[in-house]
Amino acid sequence: MSVQQISVFVQSQPGHLLRILEAFESSHVSVRGYCASDTGDYGIVRFIVDDPARGLAVLQEQGAAAAMTEVLCVKLEDRPGELARVAAVFAEKGINVTYGYSLISTYIALKVDDVAHAKELLADTSVETVSQADLAALERE
Amino acid sequence: MIDKQEALKALQTQDYSFFPIHNPAIECASRERIRAIQLAKLIEQVAWTYERVPWYREKMDATGVSPADIKTLEDVRKLPFTDKSALRDTFPYGLFAVPLDEVVELHASSGTTGKPIVVGYNAHDMDMWADCIARLVQMAGVVPSDRAQMAFGYGMFTGGFGLHYGLQSLGCMMIPAGSGNTERHIAMIEDYGTTVLIATPSYALHVCEVGEQIGYDWSKSPLRVGLFGGEPCPPKLKEEIESRMHVICTDNYGLTEVMGPGVSGECLASRDMQHIAEDHFLWEVVDPETGEPVPDGEMGELVLTPLGKQAIPVLRYRTHDLTRVVTEPCACGRTTARMQKVRSRCDDMLIIRGTNVFPSQIEDVLAGIEGLTPHYRIVVDNETGLDRLTLHVELKPEAFSDSFEQMDAFRTSIAEKLKSVLLVGVTVRLVEPGGIERSFGKTKHVEDKRRS
Repeated sequence: MSVQQISVFVQSQPGHLLRILEAFESSHVSVRGYCASDTGDYGIVRFIVDDPARGLAVLQEQGAAAAMTEVLCVKLEDRPGELARVAAVFAEKGINVTYGYSLISTYIALKVDDVAHAKELLADTSVETVSQADLAALERE
Repeated sequence: MIDKQEALKALQTQDYSFFPIHNPAIECASRERIRAIQLAKLIEQVAWTYERVPWYREKMDATGVSPADIKTLEDVRKLPFTDKSALRDTFPYGLFAVPLDEVVELHASSGTTGKPIVVGYNAHDMDMWADCIARLVQMAGVVPSDRAQMAFGYGMFTGGFGLHYGLQSLGCMMIPAGSGNTERHIAMIEDYGTTVLIATPSYALHVCEVGEQIGYDWSKSPLRVGLFGGEPCPPKLKEEIESRMHVICTDNYGLTEVMGPGVSGECLASRDMQHIAEDHFLWEVVDPETGEPVPDGEMGELVLTPLGKQAIPVLRYRTHDLTRVVTEPCACGRTTARMQKVRSRCDDMLIIRGTNVFPSQIEDVLAGIEGLTPHYRIVVDNETGLDRLTLHVELKPEAFSDSFEQMDAFRTSIAEKLKSVLLVGVTVRLVEPGGIERSFGKTKHVEDKRRS
């Protein structure tokens, strides 16, 4: 159980993020979470959506530089120490978290070295990992 | 109608006999014959100019040269040079050699500084111009049954009407669509069975991209030929357009001051070169500093004297364009001299911290890097006290990676390649695909914001 993340190269300029969001909206792709990071000139904006294949296709059609990456998605209880528990599992086994961000609710997407291995490790804990199907099935508020 | 697939195959298999030669009596004449025609016309041209244009008469009298001194082609060097300023100083009609009643068309350059450059043509000049255009379009395989769609703006600029009249006189059906409205251009290509598109290369690429976005299949399109002008066309850009649009593209060289487009045209057998219409233009290649001729075949500034041009007969026009000219016969069958495509001008050289940098050098480096489009923009400033060159380059979608580390490594590798060629440090900025503005006229690659 892992999810596909869409990363997009976006210049750090007004309106550039909007173009991406409008493309998702017009093709009825629902964004479940995102994070925007920057280097000054440009940023990589990462999205978790309900239908990644359609989301990527619509961006490619408009000529955007976009790529799909596999990430791990976990659902945590909203109480102190939960994220630490996940981090401890990975730290102990030497799995590096490159980046991570939370989605709607307390869903958290994590880019790790080895998604499959990380998932196995979490299976032994009570941390719930989330699938693409779970995200798609979430009721829209 | 020429079959598109056959034309593409002829180019691929180097079967140059497939592409017509418009005027073989001139274009395939011996060097001796070409030089004899040039000399006879030069003698007439100098006499015409001296008699009818006081500005030239005064100049020639001041340096003690008379039309009778022109006895060989080399004697052209006795004549004064003409610079752009001559046309500006005599604005609007000071260099005209015929009564205005005889002038049938007026054109002007865009005039980025001060007054525009105004040029006129009489009926004879229009015929000469049409002949030049017919030659260069036939080099690309255009025939009278073709349907040519104009994507240049018409207006005062020589590119629009120059190509229009030339193609029409060859017998083509002209479709004067004009600039802009890209989706309409694509619809017209399909509806009218357009076989030839006249555009700037950057606009042609834009048409291509818009077509792909709306699902137009260029391989099945009637379009077969792209005739480019208005801005230089880097080889990589042309290759990209040819493969994505399934067309044969050529570009030509010309400038308003000596006529407009059509001085020389790209040859499919030696695509870096353009055949000069030598019976209409006498060429020289000189050292831009001294004005003295450079050795045969070497780089220098192109100087042009139109031959038989009546309304405005400029002598020895300094183009400021850098090129080299070779006179060996060409694999396409033509014997007219070929000039290397102009990649740089004497005056587009940038001096960055004392080092000379030509935009063409940057183009060459970018052409060798996978993952970048041919589009770029140079910004020069000295805000920090030192000259700083920032190069904006456009990322191709497939070169994108989710990792900042990899993107930055890519950016750094581009900067290093540039530094090794330019010998000066460059700041590279990555821009989104399509993020560099496409031009519909002359592409402005350079913005110099330096304050002195």
